[in-house]
Amino acid sequence: MDNIDALDHVEHHRGGDGHSHEDGQANENQLGSNPPMIAVRLHRSTVPNRDGAGLVPEVMVSNDDGRHMWLSGVEAYRRLMTKIALEVVALRREYRSKAVLDGIDLSVSVGETVGILGSNGAGKSTLVETIAGLRRPSSGTVRVCGLDPWRDRARVRSILGVQLQDAVLHPDLTVLENVRLHRSFYRHGEQPDQLIQHLGLTDVARTRTQRLSGGQQQRLSIAVALIGRPRVVILDELTTGLDPEGRRSIWELIENIQANGATILLVSHSMDEVERLCDRVIVLDKGRILGAGTTRELRDQTGTAHLEDAFLKLRTQDTTPRRPA
Amino acid sequence: MTAMTGYDIPSSPKPGPRAWAQVLIAETKSVARDTAGLIIPIGMPSLLIVAQGAGPSQESVPGTGGRSVFEVFLLPLMLVMVISLIGIVNMPSFLAMYRKEGLLKRLAATPANPAMLLAAQVATSLIQTVIGIALALALSAWMFGLSGPITLWPTIGAFALTCVAMYAAGMVVAAISPTTNAAVAIGLITFFAMGALGGMFGGSQNLPEVLAELGRWLPYGAGVDALQHAWLGKGIPWQRLLALTLATIVGAVSAVRLFRWAR
Repeated sequence: MDNIDALDHVEHHRGGDGHSHEDGQANENQLGSNPPMIAVRLHRSTVPNRDGAGLVPEVMVSNDDGRHMWLSGVEAYRRLMTKIALEVVALRREYRSKAVLDGIDLSVSVGETVGILGSNGAGKSTLVETIAGLRRPSSGTVRVCGLDPWRDRARVRSILGVQLQDAVLHPDLTVLENVRLHRSFYRHGEQPDQLIQHLGLTDVARTRTQRLSGGQQQRLSIAVALIGRPRVVILDELTTGLDPEGRRSIWELIENIQANGATILLVSHSMDEVERLCDRVIVLDKGRILGAGTTRELRDQTGTAHLEDAFLKLRTQDTTPRRPA
Repeated sequence: MTAMTGYDIPSSPKPGPRAWAQVLIAETKSVARDTAGLIIPIGMPSLLIVAQGAGPSQESVPGTGGRSVFEVFLLPLMLVMVISLIGIVNMPSFLAMYRKEGLLKRLAATPANPAMLLAAQVATSLIQTVIGIALALALSAWMFGLSGPITLWPTIGAFALTCVAMYAAGMVVAAISPTTNAAVAIGLITFFAMGALGGMFGGSQNLPEVLAELGRWLPYGAGVDALQHAWLGKGIPWQRLLALTLATIVGAVSAVRLFRWAR
């Protein structure tokens, strides 16, 4: 974060209800619709809060006339909660003059789980690999926590946990060795033993990766995606090929990760998976977004009763104007 | 298990020495567990050197302290041949296999960097090669009464420099090859081109002067020349040392820059 001490013209406003204005009322004209956060700090409150520490967050924003001010209370929490974790604007990726991604707009808030739904060749994997900085956009911008994943590769990779569809782990290393290897790449992270236990892999911790079942391999790939304590997690078709029991067990695992506040981008073929796990869904086809919203919104938008029907209808109505997700 | 939602993104999140050590440990364990991969680096040196030594090359060369034709001319050539085959053809094929199977793609999504992977590959392969060559030399000493180098440390230095130069060339092959087959093809072409110019198929004096001079500046020819001089207690020509050093620097830098994580 920016050095707070270096900022000038800071006004400190804290109303009784925690809004930005001195009289306790939010002033949208002064703040703009949703000005970007400049800094965050912890402030010791005179009123003890639930954790007893008495620390409350304060958020610095810039108002329309360029002055900075601190927000606290409900307004600060709202700004923190709506912070953008992922932002994709007009993303285009070409391969041999053919557009694999064609003008993708996507915004994911901190703590949100967004599903990417699409059939084979829709551009799902290309999209997540571009967001992860593994592919360079032909045009458009991608930001992960405000950073360009291609230019700031090292920094983005330190805050990103990725599970890729066609990527494997060292087959001759054990589960524990693979997790320890990946832990060594991050300055901060989980304890390998604890994470393995949490993911139900303790019994196979000393088994070589090549001898694991499909479900165990998926759990391990999730473990290495989470070992660096990532802010943003990308999961690409993580339950493909698993039996119903294995899928449900992985879903419970993802729900656990969600409960801990992670931002998740989930690529899937599976409607029930997306319906169960995702706050919002984008439907991708031939590199374009055909529809976006909650599963209910997609059903309402298409006048269908099930997400699968909505998906199929969106694909057949390919004339639907593109809309940002 | 917690998800990080703070604001501190490390400004320089490059992995430290612990990560380099873990990559090396992981690579060593993988190699030790996949024993089929040990056959070439451990077995090939003995096979090639003993096969050459068993031929009609035991006559002594005048002015070399009774050392044989095999020891003076063939051994340096065979040593460099072994180093280059393993460094340029064998070692890169493993990294290319990792690339094809998606293992490198998985690592590409982490803060791991190409240099640590290349260094771990070179280190584990070099250890195997040194063991293989030590075995071959011990076998040659026992079977053919090898006298050994007149000056030990310069010979070890020339050997080490030839190894790193050859592995640097191999790192470039490893960095760019999309598949194992491609790595073997690119590696073999490089190996034969450098070998032919460096005297592998007969003395380089039989080549046109321009090609012979080019061969002496490439790692194969420079390595053979440096080893021969050091083995016989003569000073190693500075041009050979310069050629090997340049090959090491250019190869290592190019490999890191050209490194591709996925096919």
